[in-house]
Amino acid sequence: MKMKRILAMAISTVMTVTMLAGCGGQGAPADTSGAAGESGAATEASGDASGRPVVTILNSKMEIQEQLEEMAQAYSESHDADLEVYYSSDTIAAHLSTRYAANEPYTLAMVDAKDVYSLAAEHAVDLSSEDWVKDTTEAISVDGKVYGFPVCVEARGIIYNADAIKKITGKDFDPESVKTLDDFSALLDELKAGGMAAPTGIMKEDWSLAAHYLAEVYEQHDDPDAFLQSLHDGSANIIKDDIFNSMMDTFDVLKANNYAAGNAISAEREVTEQKLAEGEIAFMFGGNWDWSVINQYDYSENMGIMPVPQNTSSDANTKLVGGGSKYFFIDSSDNTSEAQVQAAKDFLNWLVYDEEGQKFIVNDCALVPAYSNITLAVSDPLGSSVKAYADKGALIANYNYCPDDHYSKLGAAFQEYLGDKSDREGFAKAIDTYWQDATLTEH
Amino acid sequence: MNRNKLSYKVSQYLTFAGPALILFLGTVIIPFVYGLYLTFTSWDGISREKPFVGGDNYVAAFTDTAYWQALGRTMVYSFFAVILINALAFFLAYLVTSGVKGENFFRAGFFVPNLIGGIVLGYVWKFVFNRAFVAVADAITGGSNPSLLSTPGGAMFCLILVSVWQYAGYMMLIYVAGFMSVPDSLKEAAMIDGCTPAQAMKDVTIPLMRASFVQCIFLSITRCFMVYDVNLSLTKGEPFNSSVLAAMHVYNQAFTYKNYGTGQAEALILFVICAIVGVTQVYIGKKGEVGA
Repeated sequence: MKMKRILAMAISTVMTVTMLAGCGGQGAPADTSGAAGESGAATEASGDASGRPVVTILNSKMEIQEQLEEMAQAYSESHDADLEVYYSSDTIAAHLSTRYAANEPYTLAMVDAKDVYSLAAEHAVDLSSEDWVKDTTEAISVDGKVYGFPVCVEARGIIYNADAIKKITGKDFDPESVKTLDDFSALLDELKAGGMAAPTGIMKEDWSLAAHYLAEVYEQHDDPDAFLQSLHDGSANIIKDDIFNSMMDTFDVLKANNYAAGNAISAEREVTEQKLAEGEIAFMFGGNWDWSVINQYDYSENMGIMPVPQNTSSDANTKLVGGGSKYFFIDSSDNTSEAQVQAAKDFLNWLVYDEEGQKFIVNDCALVPAYSNITLAVSDPLGSSVKAYADKGALIANYNYCPDDHYSKLGAAFQEYLGDKSDREGFAKAIDTYWQDATLTEH
Repeated sequence: MNRNKLSYKVSQYLTFAGPALILFLGTVIIPFVYGLYLTFTSWDGISREKPFVGGDNYVAAFTDTAYWQALGRTMVYSFFAVILINALAFFLAYLVTSGVKGENFFRAGFFVPNLIGGIVLGYVWKFVFNRAFVAVADAITGGSNPSLLSTPGGAMFCLILVSVWQYAGYMMLIYVAGFMSVPDSLKEAAMIDGCTPAQAMKDVTIPLMRASFVQCIFLSITRCFMVYDVNLSLTKGEPFNSSVLAAMHVYNQAFTYKNYGTGQAEALILFVICAIVGVTQVYIGKKGEVGA
């Protein structure tokens, strides 16, 4: 009897001890294998056994994860730092908040522009004195200090499939020839007469509709802040805005020629991009990031991005909208040591100034570089379109200060318009109401 | 050793219940209390500062019409889903205990959907609704047909259908256990006394299975109120945010719109509503329980 009790006591004590040890696993050896995946814990130690600094990197561009991992391995072998790449498909801010809550921030985090504005002051290292600052126009500064390192340039417009157009019209497609909506409509009619049943596709995703297409309305204004302020205080209504009406006229044409006209709001992005890649349709509003989807299919060689055609007197129909996309910032908390910060800075410089780093950005990842000193030719067709527009200065800047719920709420309103559940006036009213209630972001 | 001493009792308690207690505190109670504290701050989820704002988040939650719409939708969804899940589960359980050939095979078959994670299941069904059903409808009518998922009513219907498909097998197992626990002798006695099989089912078997009903309805109510995974992968709230259920709205509010405090307050309200509904149901259910 007594033996039994002692045994039971001993077992439960052992269990308690093991459990406590499990909870307090701070001293356990950190995962230094560099394995990808959000479950892998970032190393706690600022250096590994040999004293080399460890740089943990959060990647938020899924399409370059493999390339990053290979590069990290090669870089770690040839440099005095160990790179570890992690990926998360979560909302970036939500994912980072869990890492900060656990006191295990990434040394380098790749985030969107708006995240830099909201996080930099508290969490980022001042990079103003870095060499690359002078070679880019896309770096993000807050209060006069540079915090965000632009990873690449991305821009949006109408993606076209020139091969599909040539097959019907018989002549090479020149995007310059369809700057106005009238010319664009005429071309669409010609395509339809030539046998292409429906020449356009529309992505119904809320981010494409609201954060990309609708946002162009704000961005084409000379002063987007002033325009949104006037919507906010009610002194302007968007229905009376020329740019809005002009963009919506174009949208109506895209919508009328949509291959999924009766089913527009359940059209899947992959299907639309596949049709575009294979030339079943000829036009779709999108950006050079769409290449990572298009290149999954049997794509045509001659594709590109052109400005959204508009009947306008301004030069908006000669420009793409875009700029820096995805930014690295270096963590400034006590969890990141001096050596780690320095190693991270070295890595950023390597990306910009080392031939290997440049090749990595341009050739391996097929990104459009944000640095004027990088002269390598961009390999994918959409990227080279963007580079051509960027080089001649024909990019309208991104507006990065829309509130966080903008894309979701107005995306829903835009979907109603796309699905014929509301008309232009109803949609305009939803936009007015949204901005009147919104809290404008200070910047 | 004096077994009535307080120190003895405490040490006994700690050695046996201690581990579980620590785990429970660490994973449930402390996060809950901390969450409660966060509802009084305007934290954005990541900043170091957590400014205290009093009841502002509750005011924001109560005036957030999108939240109440989402809650309303959740009620409608739960109402239909709970009834259908339990009706179907009971029917299936009846079939697989009535002595058909290959009972065990059918039990396993009906249970399988529950083993597939909600996310995967959502994507599979999305494909079925968007491509397979549309292709079949197109072939029959010869025209192009919209997907069920592209209308608000259709999206809700799809959500309910998929949930029923997912949970019916699980609840079936509990009902099967219920059926097995009713002794055949009672049913036979009722039949000898002149009951028809339907009467024996209604007046003998079902009352004795009351515990199974209480359990199944409780489980399905709480699962339906808190559903997120299927909602995310099947409809993602589309079309036009018309299928955003309460849990998804809370997630968006906290993480996408970065109103962590408001999201947390809304989560708390959801918890309270869910608790009230669940406890009331169990209370009413237990009250009339009969022992065999």
